[in-house]
Amino acid sequence: MIRYTLRRLTLLIVTLWLLTVFLFSLNYFFPGDPLTNMTGIRASNTLSYQLAAEARGFDASIISQYINFVGHFVRGDWGQSLTTQRDVFTDLIPLLGGTLELSLLAMILAMVIGAPLGLYAAGQQRGSMDRLAMGVSLSAYSIPVFWLAQLLILLFAVKLRWTPISGQINPLFDIDVYSGSIIVDILISDNPYKQAALLDAINHLWLPVIVLAIMPATMLMRITRNSMLEVLQQNYIRAARARGLTETRILLRHVLPNAMQPVVRQLGLMFSILMSNIIITEVIFNWPGLGSWLVKSIYERDYPVMQGGLFAFAALILLVNVLVELFHAWRYPQVRKELYAER
Amino acid sequence: MSIWRLWLLTPILTLAACTPASHDVAPLRNGIVYCSEGNPESFNPQLGTSGTTIDATSAQIYDRLIDYDDHQQKFVPALAESWQTLDNGTRYRFTLRPNVQFHQAPWFTPSRAFNADDVVFTFKRWLNEDHPYHEVNGGSYPFFTASGLSRLITDVVAVNETTVDFYLKHSNSSFLANLATDFAVILSAEYGAELLVRGEPAEIDKQPIGTGPFVFEEFRKDLIIRYQRHDDYWREPAHIEQLVYSITPNANKRMLKLITGECDVIPYPLVEELAQLDTGDEIQISSTVNPNIAFWAFNTEHPPFDDVLVRRAMASAINRKAIIQTIYNGNAKLATGVLPETSWAYSPVDQTYGYNPERARELLIEAGYGDGFEFDIWAMPVQRAYNPNAQKMAELIQSDLAQIGVTANIVSYEWNAFRRRLARDEHDSVLIGWIADNADPDNFFRPLLSCNALNVGTNRANWCEPGFDDLLVQAISEENTDSRKKLYQEVENWVYREAPLVPIANSMRFQAHRSDVHGVEVPAYGGVSFRNAYRDGKREQEAQP
Repeated sequence: MIRYTLRRLTLLIVTLWLLTVFLFSLNYFFPGDPLTNMTGIRASNTLSYQLAAEARGFDASIISQYINFVGHFVRGDWGQSLTTQRDVFTDLIPLLGGTLELSLLAMILAMVIGAPLGLYAAGQQRGSMDRLAMGVSLSAYSIPVFWLAQLLILLFAVKLRWTPISGQINPLFDIDVYSGSIIVDILISDNPYKQAALLDAINHLWLPVIVLAIMPATMLMRITRNSMLEVLQQNYIRAARARGLTETRILLRHVLPNAMQPVVRQLGLMFSILMSNIIITEVIFNWPGLGSWLVKSIYERDYPVMQGGLFAFAALILLVNVLVELFHAWRYPQVRKELYAER
Repeated sequence: MSIWRLWLLTPILTLAACTPASHDVAPLRNGIVYCSEGNPESFNPQLGTSGTTIDATSAQIYDRLIDYDDHQQKFVPALAESWQTLDNGTRYRFTLRPNVQFHQAPWFTPSRAFNADDVVFTFKRWLNEDHPYHEVNGGSYPFFTASGLSRLITDVVAVNETTVDFYLKHSNSSFLANLATDFAVILSAEYGAELLVRGEPAEIDKQPIGTGPFVFEEFRKDLIIRYQRHDDYWREPAHIEQLVYSITPNANKRMLKLITGECDVIPYPLVEELAQLDTGDEIQISSTVNPNIAFWAFNTEHPPFDDVLVRRAMASAINRKAIIQTIYNGNAKLATGVLPETSWAYSPVDQTYGYNPERARELLIEAGYGDGFEFDIWAMPVQRAYNPNAQKMAELIQSDLAQIGVTANIVSYEWNAFRRRLARDEHDSVLIGWIADNADPDNFFRPLLSCNALNVGTNRANWCEPGFDDLLVQAISEENTDSRKKLYQEVENWVYREAPLVPIANSMRFQAHRSDVHGVEVPAYGGVSFRNAYRDGKREQEAQP
């Protein structure tokens, strides 16, 4: 396991390194002055510009420029926004919180809905409920997120008036932003109207979470169903039945843990898909997260913000994938054996 | 199967927890959400001309020396209690209001009340190139340059704590009008000095300090601007405790958010769409006539428009009523002259040519163009408050002109190229417009039709008559309002006779709000103000302590 962990971590570091090389070269590919693209300091601001050029080794070779770039990057000096002149890294932290909140809740919801429905469908194999569930999941899987979001907004917000259509919370609740996750921020705030604020925040949350959860939930459902069916045909299940164990016990103790193995393996992939959907969802729901920030920066040609957003997104996806793989290998030793090709 | 039931219960319970939050919580009751159409460029209106910045700053954070009252159509005291004109109109003396408090914020605690130093600091910032703040945040003060104020004022001197003298190069009756605009806000000199010591002068326009009814609290780009009530405000403090601008650039989303109640007030609503939706009496739409004018200007240097008869023929040939119905959906008034209804010098006498194709044809024959001619109409490629669709307007004019045998070709370029070529006078005629910056009628004529405006590039008619300029100078040097009014009628008449341009429409500015919100003011000249805004049920509460 240690060897495996080290290998994964090395791979992660190498990928991140390649990412920094890519980001560094972007500064030269973007139109305009590379130093301005990198730091957000315009040449018209002569003094700061010269200081930045010195600090970033712009008088030396490209290699030393790159080394300086990585040095600044690691220290959290990601430059300043070209439009707001604010520090990119400082602005990024709360936005990351907003994105994580939305994605984690959607992931949890997807698991709560998807996996049990898959189990249920497997239990009713080829029955009418199975067909119905599979049919619904296939159609839900095929609906693009941007369309689904608009549809649900029209239904729940405009027609039924159950929920607002944008933002994290009614802005009149003056909640200070620390983590960017609205639930966490409310809980740590000393606002006298905490409870009302929390209700309002949940009321803002549930629609985007459902929109985001639908795609991974349907994926989970299909994977769970298929792997359940596979496990149910194994000899040890037959043996358990022969020994007279109850169905519930067989399901919970023997089928489920084994059936979850391929499901866990897919979680990383699902997270990646979720991340691309979250960009669209955040824009539609005006959610203050990395996704809407990144899209906005592309419109505004705000290169330092674009780089920061890109890196944060890529690093998040990589990190989650590595963590899922590590968990997978730790939880299911047979996987490790396959990886090492051990006998 | 009990697991299944439990699992089915979970989402139901979750949904049950999501019933809409009650609006009966104090912060929701005591605050108003305004869904603005964009981010402000800065928090100092001196630095720009964008309406979005004005809406977010002028009337909320700051005050001016004097204000302009739309209803009484006169100047009223604000930070200056009184003022007098001295030395034949070349010196203005302002007596300042005592005990006016600046905002107290986490980034600044004022140690003294507003006084003459603040006025000198504020005006010297853009007036004096050696001022330590002149170059801060760009060093460009477009309104003061364009209005000529930076050339007009020679000095600003603090006589004592509560008296300030403005020295002018020559007497100018639009001086007070310019001081009453949303650009002429008063900053804090003490805050400026403190920021210099801290070495962060740029903060003055980002973390603003003013004397206005609301204290700036935070700005998150693309999300919100938050203000709290200024409790020590020198007028009656605002009714609402909190004001939030929720930034929503998309017009459709703004409308939906108004319907769902996330916005209390929105600017520039989609009036047509909103009328189609069944919103009952939850939403009200209000409009004010914006001091703007859409017009059709002829390049009087290009034949045949050098002939006044041809210009009059063109003016008589177009059906302006039909244009207003089609282009503005009825949301505009037929212009009766260059000055809109909001101007104090406005007269209801119609000084435009009515729709009369017969007369137009006669005029053309008289001018020697009985067989018609061919020319270009330039149409703006962008929407403007005064003209939502210049292309369509050009098409309507084109078909009207075809009736009298004149062929018009519609020409358009990308907006920046369009303006560049206009400035080079390459056009035969152009559909464009003007929005006034201040209440002075001079602001409509001097930039559009004076000889000076030829050089600045705003005289689209390329029309210069020294006699007309003399009349303008005479009008602006006149102090008596009634005499000035008469002079501006003469000016209007001159424009009517010579027809260098055809005034088409004065369009309105729209705003929609939820019906439980009242008192949101949109003055004709300037940005939205929430000083007197309140929500139903709030006032009664205040009445019973």
